[in-house]
Amino acid sequence: MSNSVAKYIFLFGILLLLHAAYSAAQHRSYLRLTEQEFTALPADIILQTIFSLLLTVYGVTMVAGDFKEIRSNIDLQKKTWMNLNNRPSFYIFNHRGHIFNPMLLTRTGTGKGALEAN
Amino acid sequence: MASKNKARVVEKNNGEVLAFSEGAIRNNAMVVEYCRTSMAALGGAAAGILGLTSLYGFVFYIFCAVAIWLLLLLKAGPHWQKYFTSRSSLLSSGLSGGLITYVLFWTFIYGMVHVY
Repeated sequence: MSNSVAKYIFLFGILLLLHAAYSAAQHRSYLRLTEQEFTALPADIILQTIFSLLLTVYGVTMVAGDFKEIRSNIDLQKKTWMNLNNRPSFYIFNHRGHIFNPMLLTRTGTGKGALEAN
Repeated sequence: MASKNKARVVEKNNGEVLAFSEGAIRNNAMVVEYCRTSMAALGGAAAGILGLTSLYGFVFYIFCAVAIWLLLLLKAGPHWQKYFTSRSSLLSSGLSGGLITYVLFWTFIYGMVHVY
């Protein structure tokens, strides 16, 4: 299910819950004005409250985000061997190429001089 | 990035070794926690609207906890083993933490709807 649909479900559930709360408050004030004793809420308000609660929480679970597989080899399956074997700490920029080809030094810029010294 | 790839290794009774991805476990726990907190708040609001008092409110909290458990299993689908190590700990893990939030919203909404 797409995320926007879940958001609308969530919003609709919240509105329904607010409406149920308003209805319950109205019922209480009606009882107070007609001086009746409060025993229980009307069945429709109770049903609406429980239904909207379940609807809202369903929306929340859909909005909350996707679960990830916890087996660790799932992550590794997507990566290539080149990607896994890449260790930036062990990069070597100083190599023996310049011994075999002295011309290389003169052609590539001046910045390498410091590296070549040691 | 390095901590994301860390694996937690669990050895089963039959000697089978399973490696779990730490980052995925934390991600799932975060999603579950989010749902659980929302459920506590909304369930408390519903209990307040219904005007539940004393023990009925706590019974309703248990109903809410079971409902969110079922909804999470519904979200996980038939292969819940892919996302969680145990189904029963999913039900019982955040119960006491959510109860505080639940009581807060329960008393607040009860006061708003039924007292004033």
